[in-house]
Amino acid sequence: MSAIQLRNLTKTFGDFTALKTMDLDIADGEFMALLGPSGCGKSTTMNMIAGMEEPTSGRILFGERDMAGVPMGRRGVGFVFQNYAIFTHMTVRQNLAYGPRMRRAAKAEIDRRVGAIAELLQLTPLLDRKADRLSVNILQRVAIGRSAIMEPAIFLLDEPLSNVDAAFRAVMRIELKQLQRQFRQTMVYVTHDQLEAMTMADRIAVMDHGVLQQVGTPLEVYNNPVNVFVARFIGAPGMNLLKGRPAESDRGLVVDLRPLGITPPLPDELAATLRGARGDVLYGFRPEQVALAQDGRGLAMPVTFVERIGARTIVHLGQGEGAVKAVFDNDVGLAIGQTAVVAPDASSVRVFDASSGVAMKAG
Amino acid sequence: MGAARLKPALRDEGARLGFRLTLPAQILVLFISVFPLLMQLYISVTDWSPLSGLGWWNAWEMWNSFANYTDLAADARFWSALKRTAIVMIVCVPAEFLLGLSLATLFADDFPGKRIFYSILLMPMMVVPAVAGYMFFMLFQSGGPVNDILSAISGTQVTIAWLSDPTLALIAVMIADIWQWTPLMFLILLAGLVGVPEDQMKAATLLGANPWQRFTTIVLPKMKTIIIIALAIRVIENFKIFDTLYIMTGGGPGVATETISVYIYKVTTQDLIWGYVAAIALAILIVLSIVAVFAMKRMARARQVPA
Repeated sequence: MSAIQLRNLTKTFGDFTALKTMDLDIADGEFMALLGPSGCGKSTTMNMIAGMEEPTSGRILFGERDMAGVPMGRRGVGFVFQNYAIFTHMTVRQNLAYGPRMRRAAKAEIDRRVGAIAELLQLTPLLDRKADRLSVNILQRVAIGRSAIMEPAIFLLDEPLSNVDAAFRAVMRIELKQLQRQFRQTMVYVTHDQLEAMTMADRIAVMDHGVLQQVGTPLEVYNNPVNVFVARFIGAPGMNLLKGRPAESDRGLVVDLRPLGITPPLPDELAATLRGARGDVLYGFRPEQVALAQDGRGLAMPVTFVERIGARTIVHLGQGEGAVKAVFDNDVGLAIGQTAVVAPDASSVRVFDASSGVAMKAG
Repeated sequence: MGAARLKPALRDEGARLGFRLTLPAQILVLFISVFPLLMQLYISVTDWSPLSGLGWWNAWEMWNSFANYTDLAADARFWSALKRTAIVMIVCVPAEFLLGLSLATLFADDFPGKRIFYSILLMPMMVVPAVAGYMFFMLFQSGGPVNDILSAISGTQVTIAWLSDPTLALIAVMIADIWQWTPLMFLILLAGLVGVPEDQMKAATLLGANPWQRFTTIVLPKMKTIIIIALAIRVIENFKIFDTLYIMTGGGPGVATETISVYIYKVTTQDLIWGYVAAIALAILIVLSIVAVFAMKRMARARQVPA
């Protein structure tokens, strides 16, 4: 079994807490992305899964087996390093054959396995090339092949695309995802790039400051962030959050975003939750889920900047704490200095408690 | 604009200017390397000596038609000195290499007191060789500390005459050389060792390589070039072993520790037959050049990258 369970896992380095009590279940064959800004503890978590670092407390289980005290060479994990860590003094063939050779497999057996893996990864014509002169996508395939030849139940990838230029990253993302479909192993993928996490992962574990914030499918994390951090971190640009206070109006419950005005009425379930709540809230909506509205039907805000990024246009509205972004089609007729009236799509509105930052669930 | 695209006349002009600008440097090189070599070659085919009353440039008057070289080929003392030098090298350089590599492996990891041990370890290298020679001369006296320690260990009074016994004297001299030059080997190899990429070591570990396998498949191949450099430096230096040894034994007892350098020194200062000295020195230069060329070739091969 190659499911991974993290139980009360913590890691401290002296006074610094890299990871605070993490519990996570990764299913067999699942592609799990650990996503977060640098220093959030995602790499520490992965290093502990690989056995490169000892947990301060807590347990790591592969299936039913506790990994405490199992050295990294015996955990049966494949690890793809950020810079691939290819043995540059060897040929591609020697790199691929390294694992079986260290385990003293028979020569014929090694040749057969190297041949098979090279065929699968389209490395056959490159087998006798020295590994120090390969392009980065080939290095990635060699790195994956070198681990895959050991038939690990678990694959760990540490930001494998962070050294690749942006144009190439899109190609590599697709290639990686296809490789995972071929191998069908449990994959844990560490990244700070949400696009990678969103496009490849079955589920995403969002982390910040050593705390696991939310685990869910890419759409869950995008649509229903559990707190303000996830709301801001996921999405490009992140979710707009405006401080306000719930207020009754003749059209239903709204949020009074003084001095910006009042929002369109909230959906009924959300309104029901908010009626019982006290204190300030953060009114959240996705920049992509905004429409231009008539006066009085939305928030009237001055246009402060217009970013045209080709297919779409990102319009910056308002200033300071009241600043929001809205994404429109590229032909939107807004210019700096104009006032735009924007109305968030009611179903996409999310509300967070202003003091705790936790999402207020509808119903 | 590349030089190839300039008009031929302009290119020649540039070349001539370059020649003129580098002329002082070329003359300097001529004087410090080419001229002495030619002078040596010239004197080596004569019987010239500083006592002959002739200026060295007139040495042709004492032309002896390569007698120095034929003498050298038949000179048993020369051949035995050469053989002794080779023995010292074959023992000392590998010993220094293995000790240096072991220490470097130890120092590649952290341990308490590392900085202090590191400084202590480098000290022998900084001792003036003549002083080191005197130290070991004192240590190996029959009433010296080495015998005292051996006495304490064995429980009986040990009075080995280290520097008077032909075999033991050679061993003592080799111990002094190993003591003094292991640190250099250690330093060079440590530099190579810390240059081995850590993530590749981790990758090897994750692929199931044990420490010995990691050492032979990752560390050694990565250090190949630096190992060759370290060995080449020590082979060449060890071949010229002189100061420590001369102070300890003076090449004695008899000729028991007489290496090539000691032999040349004696012929130069005691026998004063400089034409012969020039011939010996030239013969050695050729030997060392062959070693150096061989080492360079290995190095080039280690670094070459197939297309």
